[in-house]
Amino acid sequence: MFAAGIDIGSTASKAVVLAADGSVMGKEIVPIGTGTVGPARVFAQALKSAGITRDDIKWITATGYGRFSFEGINDQKSELSCHAKGIAQLLPQTRTIVDIGGQDIKVMRINDKGMLLNFVMNDKCAAGTGRFLDTMAKVLDVEVTDLSDLSFHSDEPAEISSTCTVFAESEVISKLAANMRMENIVAGIHKSVARRVASLVQRCGIQLEVAMSGGVALNKGLVQSLEEEIKCPIKVHEDCQLAGALGAALYALGSMQSAGTV
Amino acid sequence: MADVKTSLAQFEEISSNPQRLLQNYLDADEKVIACFPIYTPQPLVLAAGMVPMGIWGGQCNAHMAGKYAPIFTCSLLRSCLEFGMTGAYKGVSAAIMPIICDTFRGMNSAWRAGVKDIRPITFIYPQNRKDPGARDFLIEELKTVRSALEEISENQITNEALQEAIELCNQRNAAMRTFCETANEHLDLVKPVDRHHVMKAATFLRPEETIERVSALTEALRAEPVCRWTGKKVILTGITCEPDEILGYFADNKVAVVGDDLAQESRQYRSDYPAAASGMERLALHWFAVHGCSVAHDDNNTVRGRMLAQLAKEQAADCVVLCMMRFCEIEEYDQPSVIKEVTRAGLMSFSIDIDQSTTESGQALTKIQTFAEN
Amino acid sequence: MSEPTEVKKTKRPLPQSRILLNALVDSIYQDAWDAESKGEPVGWSTSIFPQELCATFGVPVLYPENNAAGVAARHDSPRFIATSEGELGYSNDICSYARLSIGMAHKMAHDPAYEAPDVQRMPRPTFLLCATNSCFELLKWYECLSRELDIPIFMQDCLFNYTDAKPDKHWIAYGRSQIEHNIGRMEEFFGKRFDWDKFLEIQKISIENARLFDECVMMNDRNPSPLNGFDLFNYMAPMVVARGRRETTAVLQQLKCEIQEHIDNGTTTFGSSPQEYRVDWEGIACWPNLGFNLKTMKKYGVNCVTNGYVGAWSLHYTPGNLDEMAEQYMLSSTNVVNTTTMMGKRSDVANHFQCDGMFCHINRSCKFMTYHMTCGREIVEDKCGIPVVFFDGDQADPTIFNEAQFETRLQSLVDVMKANKEEQ
Repeated sequence: MFAAGIDIGSTASKAVVLAADGSVMGKEIVPIGTGTVGPARVFAQALKSAGITRDDIKWITATGYGRFSFEGINDQKSELSCHAKGIAQLLPQTRTIVDIGGQDIKVMRINDKGMLLNFVMNDKCAAGTGRFLDTMAKVLDVEVTDLSDLSFHSDEPAEISSTCTVFAESEVISKLAANMRMENIVAGIHKSVARRVASLVQRCGIQLEVAMSGGVALNKGLVQSLEEEIKCPIKVHEDCQLAGALGAALYALGSMQSAGTV
Repeated sequence: MADVKTSLAQFEEISSNPQRLLQNYLDADEKVIACFPIYTPQPLVLAAGMVPMGIWGGQCNAHMAGKYAPIFTCSLLRSCLEFGMTGAYKGVSAAIMPIICDTFRGMNSAWRAGVKDIRPITFIYPQNRKDPGARDFLIEELKTVRSALEEISENQITNEALQEAIELCNQRNAAMRTFCETANEHLDLVKPVDRHHVMKAATFLRPEETIERVSALTEALRAEPVCRWTGKKVILTGITCEPDEILGYFADNKVAVVGDDLAQESRQYRSDYPAAASGMERLALHWFAVHGCSVAHDDNNTVRGRMLAQLAKEQAADCVVLCMMRFCEIEEYDQPSVIKEVTRAGLMSFSIDIDQSTTESGQALTKIQTFAEN
Repeated sequence: MSEPTEVKKTKRPLPQSRILLNALVDSIYQDAWDAESKGEPVGWSTSIFPQELCATFGVPVLYPENNAAGVAARHDSPRFIATSEGELGYSNDICSYARLSIGMAHKMAHDPAYEAPDVQRMPRPTFLLCATNSCFELLKWYECLSRELDIPIFMQDCLFNYTDAKPDKHWIAYGRSQIEHNIGRMEEFFGKRFDWDKFLEIQKISIENARLFDECVMMNDRNPSPLNGFDLFNYMAPMVVARGRRETTAVLQQLKCEIQEHIDNGTTTFGSSPQEYRVDWEGIACWPNLGFNLKTMKKYGVNCVTNGYVGAWSLHYTPGNLDEMAEQYMLSSTNVVNTTTMMGKRSDVANHFQCDGMFCHINRSCKFMTYHMTCGREIVEDKCGIPVVFFDGDQADPTIFNEAQFETRLQSLVDVMKANKEEQ
């Protein structure tokens, strides 16, 4: 008997399969999100890597922006609850979680059981979100995954003052036109995102330890910028991108057990 | 139960179709006066023999309003301007517009430029409410509203008729408050969206009609067994909590609305017109009885947060939800203090965006669901 | 408003009027610190509150709007704004002066490691003065300051003129009542008697200063204009912070002489580049971007010879007449009158100054002033037949402004003005 969690984000799909004892049997990421074949593909891959079939799964919990649109799920949970649960498992000392998603920035404070105590999200504006980074990478004509390395080669981060995506884009273009080094521009972009995120972290209230979840956490340059802004270290687990799916899988496991299907 | 369901369906019908109601009034040769948020001297309209109808914008993708209203205009007034410019209020004789924020300063100009066929009746509430001159000022200011209404209705507004209209409005307010109390005993029957429709419909209906319908609904509810609600309970604060989808998210997640401080809802009904020698004085004194409201300055400046905490305590609510009208800076200035006060009282709180220009409210759903799950 | 760094960078030595102005502003701040060190009352005030009252009491008052402009011009606003938006949880939709000042008040009151700005440091106030003429947001902002610092507000509610008519009798009575009752409350709060003779003297000085300031503003109607229009943003400072002081008279008299000298010599502070276009700048300055804006406008030979905002302190009444004084405070701000009145006046001024165009700052922080522009554009186009061009910006929040957009909009304004000139 197995339980699965699937996290359908706006830019990527993630899935985790758990055995009845809670051990991770399969975990997969596909870099396309809701409204694509991503969710179905990631689920199939997770089953395959767990070496099981669809029928072995007794409970599926979905989360993420696309959580309502995946067929065959047993229930769905909000991504905040799932990230909180997932991170509490991966990094149990965590009390504050930062998640930069494609659409939203979320900051959560949790207790030692992974229960949410408080949370804040950005307002309806792409500033500082994963989408913002994607747009900037496109303007610079680099892969979003290259941003981190680039920023580490900066000697003097550029000042990107606009938070509005359209304005920031034009600022970046004019800096390129002025022959500013790409590395410095990227570092400037990170700093601008970090400032925006830091203000939400302050609003929620920081309690140590702080961890980051979600795919953007893999961008070490950005994490470093954020550490500088909030003036404390940030833990990043290697499976940070899977935190939401893991949380969903843990919820699924709980539901499966209380439904007595084990 | 059938009575309750039928009645709630009727309220939904009225609340969702103010234009149809307006047409009915016009067909019956009534004159209708539109009333902008938040406080307008509606008894004057009634005493002049006309019908006051609240206007609260509505979900729309404004394409005309942008000519006069900058993009960062409060979402509600931007919709009102759009509806005004596109003829949705056609037939209305005038619109009473209290200048209660900067956007209204702008709307005063925008409306005159863009909605030429509906006369605005503008007036000001004094903010220095403790100044001894404020009361007399407001009485005089309301007299200008009275003359405009007399001119439009071609009726003299007598003190007698005004006193009668004021009593009627106070009775309506009492009926609304009783309904809210009773609804909290029947949270299984009165979902957040139902409660909202009752509250909103009352801003459109004549007070006597509201009293009749709402009292009947309250009676029908009383005949039902009391519900022991096991889900979470919240208090809403803000200007409005719309559209229906958002309120549906509360119900879907077994969260009940057990009280509110919304401008469109309880702020309309919670304070009565106090007793005084004349009707005009009573209208003015109402403004001085308003407390904990973002558009009325209070020296006691944590009063709103504490009032909400108290309300939550009385209704055993778990959380205060701040429904933030997009680009309403007046509410935004209050937001941190309200959160601080309700947190101090040991309550949870979170904010959701209310935006009339979009039907996309996935973030609100995520927040409500997160609250319900934890 | 005072000595933004970019403007300082000019190679020319400061004119005598600026030296006097700087000394005056420094002394105003010094007075406030002296009072603070003695445990005496210090006020923070909105920019168009009846300053005559505290000036009569001899109680020092500072002006957060003026201070915020200076802090923003020196690029020091982001840290205070970050405190407001982060730790305190204010929306980035509210006025940036408010965000800056609330953040500063919070740091001042609660952060032992608070580092004040380099110049024009504000002491912590013991009371607030709030007039509602500029906007309603001021009142909400001052409510927040009052909560943050736990101090009282003295309010002068100045009613918005929603029609073109002059304020009614009952409006003036309410205004007068507030002046009188504020005096009473202040007597109690300060523990001092109000000296009505001194009040009359202060009123006379204030009116004299307003008259002088108006004269200086009007002298810029010459062609070429003796002043670079942005200079007026600097000379506004004494009208905001020291309208009732003799030293302000001295600054303005000196300024008037200097302007006359420029007129006589055919020179201008606009610099050596020719003034090809005369423009009416509408709205508050983008303080963080003042230097860029000035440089760019010079590049295209555009001088903003007039703007409506600097006229907000032009208050004229008969000394001793409280009714007139109350009325003036209900009329002076650009934001206390409706758009037809305001933009009608602005059109007349634009015509008088022979403006070729109007350049409007769509200021994210000043919502109602922006309404004047969006609703009043047609009035200006009708009455003046000049192009009206908008650009986005903010008075203190650098995240809203975009250099590329500013230059593109200015260029397009120049193109239209050029075509209009060629047609003539």
